[in-house]
Amino acid sequence: MVDATTLIRATLLGLQLGMTLALVAAGLTLIFGMLDVINFAHGALYMLGAYFGVTVATELGSFWLALVIAPLLVAVVGGAIEILSLRPLYGRNPLYHILLTFGIAIMTQGLVVEIWGAQSLRIQVPDALSGTLTYGSLSYPVYWMFVLAVSTVLIGAIWLAISRSDIGIIIRASAHDTEMVDALGFDVSRVFTGVVVFGAALAGVAGVLLGASRSVNPGMGFGVIIQAFVIVVIGGLGSFRGAVFSALLIGLVTAYGALIAPSLTDLFMFALMAVVLIIKPSGLFGATEAA
Amino acid sequence: MREIVAMFDPRRTSVGDSQILTSRGRLAVFGLIVLLGVLGPVVAIVEPYWLYILVQVLVFALLALSLDFVFGYAGLLSFGHAAMFGAGGYSAALLITEVTPNALVVLPVAMLTGVAVAAVIGWFSVRSRGIYFAMLTLAFAQMFYVAAFADLPATLLGVESITGGDNGIYGIALYELIGIDLSDRINYYFLTLLLVALSLAFLVRLANSPFGRVLQGIRENEERVAFIGYDVRRYKVVGFAISGGFAGLAGGLYVPFQSLAHPQFLHWTVSGELVVMLLLGGMGTLWGPMLGAASVIILEEMLGGIAAWEVILGGIFVVVVIFAPRGLAGVLISLKEDPRNALTNAKNAIENYVRKVRGKS
Repeated sequence: MVDATTLIRATLLGLQLGMTLALVAAGLTLIFGMLDVINFAHGALYMLGAYFGVTVATELGSFWLALVIAPLLVAVVGGAIEILSLRPLYGRNPLYHILLTFGIAIMTQGLVVEIWGAQSLRIQVPDALSGTLTYGSLSYPVYWMFVLAVSTVLIGAIWLAISRSDIGIIIRASAHDTEMVDALGFDVSRVFTGVVVFGAALAGVAGVLLGASRSVNPGMGFGVIIQAFVIVVIGGLGSFRGAVFSALLIGLVTAYGALIAPSLTDLFMFALMAVVLIIKPSGLFGATEAA
Repeated sequence: MREIVAMFDPRRTSVGDSQILTSRGRLAVFGLIVLLGVLGPVVAIVEPYWLYILVQVLVFALLALSLDFVFGYAGLLSFGHAAMFGAGGYSAALLITEVTPNALVVLPVAMLTGVAVAAVIGWFSVRSRGIYFAMLTLAFAQMFYVAAFADLPATLLGVESITGGDNGIYGIALYELIGIDLSDRINYYFLTLLLVALSLAFLVRLANSPFGRVLQGIRENEERVAFIGYDVRRYKVVGFAISGGFAGLAGGLYVPFQSLAHPQFLHWTVSGELVVMLLLGGMGTLWGPMLGAASVIILEEMLGGIAAWEVILGGIFVVVVIFAPRGLAGVLISLKEDPRNALTNAKNAIENYVRKVRGKS
């Protein structure tokens, strides 16, 4: 039976899942909004974050260093992808980005197997974060609380940056009307590179965070990408606010769905997306606003 | 619909030179089909395993063809064609194991299943456009996948097993066709080749018909077509349903040959790979995507033994999309039109790439 403890636990899990998914979806939605790129390689960047995290954590022996260095490395990879492969395709039918980023995703998966092998790995959780919190009959791993806290703080900071800072204004404006921003004299191509680098770093953070609580394996990139797309589309393509909102929604649906019928959680997720799109054909926060 | 009838009207006016496959192109396709007809028996003797690959190539070529009819030609970005492929496959599997292995019964039913599934998905999805349409079709296809994987029909009807859950339905017999022994793989190959050729002929004809022109018009400018007075949504749903029929047929051909109907056939990765085949081959040309499908299947087969085959395959996708904007079909067309400048064109493409990477567009 579902009692209060199980429900609270599921809620915490759902929020944690939602916030980490928001980290992946934020980059995806900004990249789509500004560059018109359907980025299938975003899941690969998330996966790279986890694998870089594994290597840094084992070589340097520090989870904290991994949490900082791995996302930076992923950001560099993201920048290289933007400059070397996305940039030459701007202005062409955005559908071709699917073929391109799909190709990059497959390549990354193959390279990961070559370098790290096909078996599952794990990032070691630091001692300070291991163990469980107990409150009455509720027990919850400390690390999971940590993941929830870190991703919430990050998302909050980005929210503030996008809605308040000058760069945020340029980002929102470029997502809304790239040509106009270009005409006003801003270097849009640099903004583009910046957004991909930033989105890649966020996906990298999510990779490290989840790499220590779940397994790190070569299939995790393709595993997360469809979920991230669903979130981005429910929220409305290009909308950061929508992505965060619907990431939380999907996180909770998945967590509660697992209580009702574990084998059907995906069905709930896709049914939710179908209902949203049938009622609101451009997502919850789509089209009418850009951020 | 009026236009479908008009298509077979011999008096219909010529549609000009923008049609799919000129007479020379048709000759080339016909030659290729004859070549495949000869190749089958030769392969069957030399290396029977390759006959298996050839059937797979043909099935996926048919699937890519059906997708291109809506994706490239009508601009309906379906990301859920696996649903119709799998539905056709599952209906064939259930019919063969429970009712009859007669191809004349099963294949039409597989096709109709594809039409029905596509009509439902299409009816809901055409409310959205572009990428939202793509995600709606994906959502429906994934729901089919989960339903098959968890064997939801069996749970709902209270019976033990219908889709067989994550095991799928296996041990499916090959078709029977009056007088022809289809358990002989070469005959199965000929049947597949014949059906793929007929499907191509039909869809090319349909694409060049007034009905096809309306679909193409919708791709180019939906508002304008609606303004002239066409019921855009209805055209989209009908086009999508027709495409779904051929996807269902592909499923019906694939499942008995594999002797397996599996939830994986419904998974989004099948739809995704199809889109990749389409873009690789050159969308909107109908024949290009078939070429793309063949290339992907054969490449996967050839590279399968090499350690880093995914890196090579992915690399090929990346190179093609950057240097051959219109896919393999585009490369072939430019080679045919301008064979002497092939080297100059290639040099231009590389220079163009370097310039764009440096940011001086």
